[in-house]
Amino acid sequence: MLMAHRLNNLGGESADEPPLIAHLAEVTPIAPVSEPAAPRPDAITPRKARGIAPRTLLTWLLSAISLAVLITAWHVAVKYKLDFYIRFNNIPSPGAVFDDAANLFGNARFQRHVGLSLRRIITGFSVAAVLAIPLGLLLGRNRVARELIFPALEILRPIPAIAWVPMSIMLWPSNEVSIVFITFLGSFFPILLNTIQGVQSLDKVLVRAARSLGAGQLALFWHVVLPGSLPQVFTGLTIGMGVAWVSLIAAEMISGQFGIGYFTWEAYSLVRYSEIVLGMIVIGVLGLLCSGVIRLIGGWLMPWVARQNQETS
Amino acid sequence: MDAATLEITNAAAPAKSGAAQQGWIRVEDLNVRFTSRDEEVLAIDNASIDVKPGEFVTIIGPSGCGKSTLLNVVAGFIKANDGRVTVDGVAVDGPSIQRGVVFQQYSLFPWLSVRKNVEFGLKMKGVGRSAREASARTLLGLAGLLAFENHYPDQLSGGMKQRVGIVRALATSPQVLLMDEPFGALDAQTRVVMQEILTNMWQRFRLSVLFITHDIDEAIFLSDRIYVMTARPGRIKAEIKVELPRPRTAEMTSSPAFLAYVQQLRQLIREESLAAMGTELRDGALGGFATEVGPGGACTIING
Repeated sequence: MLMAHRLNNLGGESADEPPLIAHLAEVTPIAPVSEPAAPRPDAITPRKARGIAPRTLLTWLLSAISLAVLITAWHVAVKYKLDFYIRFNNIPSPGAVFDDAANLFGNARFQRHVGLSLRRIITGFSVAAVLAIPLGLLLGRNRVARELIFPALEILRPIPAIAWVPMSIMLWPSNEVSIVFITFLGSFFPILLNTIQGVQSLDKVLVRAARSLGAGQLALFWHVVLPGSLPQVFTGLTIGMGVAWVSLIAAEMISGQFGIGYFTWEAYSLVRYSEIVLGMIVIGVLGLLCSGVIRLIGGWLMPWVARQNQETS
Repeated sequence: MDAATLEITNAAAPAKSGAAQQGWIRVEDLNVRFTSRDEEVLAIDNASIDVKPGEFVTIIGPSGCGKSTLLNVVAGFIKANDGRVTVDGVAVDGPSIQRGVVFQQYSLFPWLSVRKNVEFGLKMKGVGRSAREASARTLLGLAGLLAFENHYPDQLSGGMKQRVGIVRALATSPQVLLMDEPFGALDAQTRVVMQEILTNMWQRFRLSVLFITHDIDEAIFLSDRIYVMTARPGRIKAEIKVELPRPRTAEMTSSPAFLAYVQQLRQLIREESLAAMGTELRDGALGGFATEVGPGGACTIING
């Protein structure tokens, strides 16, 4: 009500008050001059369209060169059976690996290995995210909770997930669950710590601003603490996904019967050398895809961060 | 203006007469103490100020004198140790939507677009989406920022961010606006423009403003009254009524009356700055640099 009254006043034409609108109209055009950093409203979209084409072309070209050099070096090393402390005697050539790839990718057994690994990663990582993010938000926000729970976590944290393998096999009823548990452990702590960090590094002035705008505790949490710590949460998720893969592959190699890690180890035992390389490549590509999915979700949930990067790049 | 805005404008017209008397800030015998390393520091010592409804009052003082602390107490961010702080007779107990705050750091939510930032207070109040949007658009239009409504704060310049900050604080129609060195981070040119925008906005909105600054010209240009604060512990040292005509214009800053206020304030502040730096400026600090050095530079003094 009050505001509307003021708005009314703003548009009013009483003679004894200065014409604010007229004045603003005078002042506003000056703004871009006196504030050189001011982006014009129309300046941002065209920039995107104009900037990308030549640059991506160059980027693609450089990426292609980079890959070509790697594969050529590998090919040459195998062809001349290089032996200078590192031995290339038994290493399959890129060509041999490529020939086997077509075969293998169509193989149902291989697909099952990949499918199982993905299922383990998704399960372990999701459980970790679902537990670690709310816990991190709580610990970051509440001092008593932090001082109560954090010491116990601090003792468990430095233990690498792989060190849990024997214990995990004893703890859980099946091999499958224990591998998922190892994957979970690997991603849990990076997500938790980054979430706590995100909450604690939130600018205090934003909290004050929100409170003076009438935000209660719940609204503050939902509208300020959560979005404010989201970039850091996603940093945690990205790191967590990386560690989850490390843990998964190690766990599969040690105790598995299936999974891409097991497949790679088995290829070694069965002297199928090109399958070792294929296993490695598949693991790399899957890891890349998983972090790509996280980045995609992150960009979608945090459009303001994407804009920032665009501005600075 | 679009139809939705006009609708609000008309509906609110009867509220006009009641609004004029609100926004009386009274601070009586305020004491604020901080504990740092088991040592108690008196930040504010027995300060009393008041801001009458519709008045523009500035607190000026050297940095670290506790003027921002005083504002934070009025805003409800900090609890006072002794004394009474009331707005329209109601004791201040925590932040409130009745007291809009503009911070020195821009304090816009980086994850919200410019318009959503302005809407934030209305959303907390439970105002519906379309009404929120209409109000935010109107206010942004007045600040000349409507074209940027869908930008994120990081895409704006400092002056624009602070205009959004002011508009956001005004959106919930507070009776009182508390401004903590809002133009402190801006360059000199932008600053002068912002002061003009503010004085014109205030002239229209007629709300009570408590403004913190260490800039003498800014204080005189904007204020009805100025309190000068002493350095540690912060006390109110002087109260100056600025009797320059309204509306204020840029030309006034070179008028004799304006310059007389500058002179008077400069003298008061200088004493305080010297007192504040007292521990740093011992023997001959000021006098020392007045010594004739000559073309030989500092070497002459050091060697000779």
